[in-house]
Amino acid sequence: MSAYGKSGSRAGLVDPCVLLLPLLFAAISSTDDREIAQRLKRREPQAMADLYDRYGRPAYALIFRIVKDAGAAEDLVQETFLRIWNRAQGFDQERGTLGPWVMTAARNRAIDYIRSIEGRMAKNAFELEQSEQPAVFTDVEADILNSDRARRLRTAFEKLTPNQKLVIELAYYEGLSQSEMAARMKQPLGTIKTWTRAALRALREELGAEALAV
Amino acid sequence: MTCEELREDYELHALGLLEDPERSALEEHLRNGCQTCTAGVKRAYEVNTAVLGMVPDVAPSRRLRERVITSVGGVSRRSVWNWLGTPAAAVAGLLVGVLLFRSLPVPETPEVARMRQVIELLNDPQTKAVTFAPGPRGRVLVNKDRGVLLIANNLPALPQGRTFELWVIPKGGAPKPAGLFKADQSGNALHVAPGPVDVTTLGAVAVSIEPEAGSQAPTTTPIIVAPVAD
Repeated sequence: MSAYGKSGSRAGLVDPCVLLLPLLFAAISSTDDREIAQRLKRREPQAMADLYDRYGRPAYALIFRIVKDAGAAEDLVQETFLRIWNRAQGFDQERGTLGPWVMTAARNRAIDYIRSIEGRMAKNAFELEQSEQPAVFTDVEADILNSDRARRLRTAFEKLTPNQKLVIELAYYEGLSQSEMAARMKQPLGTIKTWTRAALRALREELGAEALAV
Repeated sequence: MTCEELREDYELHALGLLEDPERSALEEHLRNGCQTCTAGVKRAYEVNTAVLGMVPDVAPSRRLRERVITSVGGVSRRSVWNWLGTPAAAVAGLLVGVLLFRSLPVPETPEVARMRQVIELLNDPQTKAVTFAPGPRGRVLVNKDRGVLLIANNLPALPQGRTFELWVIPKGGAPKPAGLFKADQSGNALHVAPGPVDVTTLGAVAVSIEPEAGSQAPTTTPIIVAPVAD
């Protein structure tokens, strides 16, 4: 029985503490990406547990957001992590970052899945494949998923116009190219490009990536 | 095309969505070792990761962890949570944990960020707490700057394809969604909905069972309603 069960409805500070314990220990005992990557390359199965404990939940949330089916999302998470496991040899553990790699691979699995059930041709299968090569994630910042930047990004996203939000959602969560968006939204391609560029510029600026990109 | 013209397309390229003629032009820059475009595409992966990380937090089932680990021949070990066993041991462990947490550099993972939000909200003297019972029992903590924290136990088992959804209900207004969450096998859950809350107009916080993707308004009778109005 939990502390809550014993104390009934009279909840004190001990209860949240007890509930927080797994999170605290996860933070303290968590090893860094570099060590996990080294162990993945050595084919240590426990490294997979550490990788999953760190990125399993955001990967699942992302895939679920795209496929909207819990069972399919779990299958695709498993596929994502197996893909990382099988390609870890090509990952540079000194300069690479696992989080962006896992999230990109997770998105690609989910986009592949919805394309297959929608009967959409995977015109850019090669590009998707290229976009998740482990070497791509060398010198990509590791803490990009941290809460402060995520919060700022959400604020910036909320400031976008409805059409700008829509093109971002169609690109990131449905995998539509700009031509496909133009057809879906019945808008000229030039208009779609304008919306997409303006939206990405706003998000990029919020993350401070603009200055680095020039 | 120049780097200046191509810089707007780095993110689409990193998503595998860029089309010709921009795609061919950018790939040529990258093949030729253009440092501006190479650095820009790296940053685009960061932007993309951050955008992909904006999705609502949804917890997978516990069995998924085991599936993933056993798929490569690993063994899903018992968690520290189970290992600690008793609440007394848990509290002792917590004290050690808090001390270590304060003194060691901890990587800012999403779980750590969530933990930080919870601790900050609990520590803020402006946080107001309300106890609810019977049935599901626990507390709702509201802070005007930091958001709403729900700590509950004795939550019912969810039917397949359903999740819990938190609602903040303004006085005389319609419920607003405040995030999806699931409970552990013992029916315990902790959910934080970060962000400012207008406590002057807040009437109640509620929880209902909703479809897995969440709802914009409750579709079932709430299992928790905690009045928080002054």
